[in-house]
Amino acid sequence: MIRSAVKISLPIMFGFVPLGIAFGLLFQDLGYPWYFASLMGIIVYAGAAQFMAIGFLSAGLGVVEIAMSTFFLNSRHMFYGLSFLESFGNWNIRKLYLIFGMTDETYALLTTIQVPDGFIKERYYLYITLFAQFYWVLGCTIGAILADVLTFNTDGMEFAATALFVVLLIEQWIIVRRLLPFIVGFISSIIALVFFINHMLLTAIMISIASIVFMRLIKGSQS
Amino acid sequence: MNELDYLIIVIIVMALSTYFTRLIPFVLLSPGRESSILNYVAKSTPPMVMMILVVYMLKDINYQSYELIYTLIALTITIGFQVYKRNALLSIVAGTAAYMFFVQI
Repeated sequence: MIRSAVKISLPIMFGFVPLGIAFGLLFQDLGYPWYFASLMGIIVYAGAAQFMAIGFLSAGLGVVEIAMSTFFLNSRHMFYGLSFLESFGNWNIRKLYLIFGMTDETYALLTTIQVPDGFIKERYYLYITLFAQFYWVLGCTIGAILADVLTFNTDGMEFAATALFVVLLIEQWIIVRRLLPFIVGFISSIIALVFFINHMLLTAIMISIASIVFMRLIKGSQS
Repeated sequence: MNELDYLIIVIIVMALSTYFTRLIPFVLLSPGRESSILNYVAKSTPPMVMMILVVYMLKDINYQSYELIYTLIALTITIGFQVYKRNALLSIVAGTAAYMFFVQI
C-alpha cells in the first residue's frame, strides 16, 4: 500500500518540491535560521499563505491582520472538506491529520484517484497526504539551506503545478462524464476573473457552488 | 518582542488560521446525514474546482508574448501524453520539461 501511495503521489512531488524550494529561497532573504522554513512547512503547510507570510514578516504586520488574511486566503479550503465528509471516517488523530493536509494539490489528487481494491480508503489517503507534506517540507528545507549555493536554473518549473491540475482535470472528465460541472466551473472562473481578480479562487468556487445548488433546487421543484 | 518571538507567533497564528479553514466543514456538517443536495454538491465540487484551478494557473499569461505560444505547446504535450498514455507523472514531467526549455532558451 505504501508503494502504491508513493507512486500515486509522485505528481505532487513535482509540484511541491520546486515550489517549496522557491519558498525556502525567498524565506532565507528574511535572515531567519533555515529550520524555520521547514517548521512553517510542517505546521502551517499552505503554499500561497506561506509566500504571503514572507511579505508579512518583512513588513512586520500585526498578528490580527495576519490571522485574518490567512483565513481569507485559505477559505476556499472550507469547500474542499465537503467532498470528504463521509470518506474520512470517525474522529481520531488520522482524520485530524487528513483535514490538516487538505491542500489544493492533495484535494485534487484524492478526489480524482480510485482506491485500489483491498486497500482501506482512510489509510491510503493518510499515506498520500503524508507523502505530499513530506515533499513540501523537503522543498522548503532544501530551498532555505541551499539559498546561497543553488545554481540549478529552476525557471519554468512552476509549470508542474499547472500540468498537475490539467492532468487531474482530464481524469475528472473520465470519472464524471457530465459536462455541466466543467461548464459551471469555467463560467464561474471567468466571472470571478472579470469582477474579483484579487480573490479569484475563492469567488469562483463560491459562485460555482451557489450556481449548482440553485440549478439543483430549480430542477427539484419542477419534478 | 524580539524578532524570533515575532516569527514564532506569526507561524503559530498562521497554522491555527489555516487549520481552522480546513476544519470548518467537518465540524459544522456531521457525516451520515442524508442530504441529497449536499451529496450533489460534494460530487460536483471536484470537477468544478479542477476547472477553476486550471483557469487560475493560466490567468497571468501575457497574451502578447511568446509565453502564450510556449504555454500552449507545453499544455498540448501534457494533454497529449495524458490522453494517450494515462500516466500522470509522464505527462507532468514532459510538459514541464518542455516549458522549462522554452523559458530558459
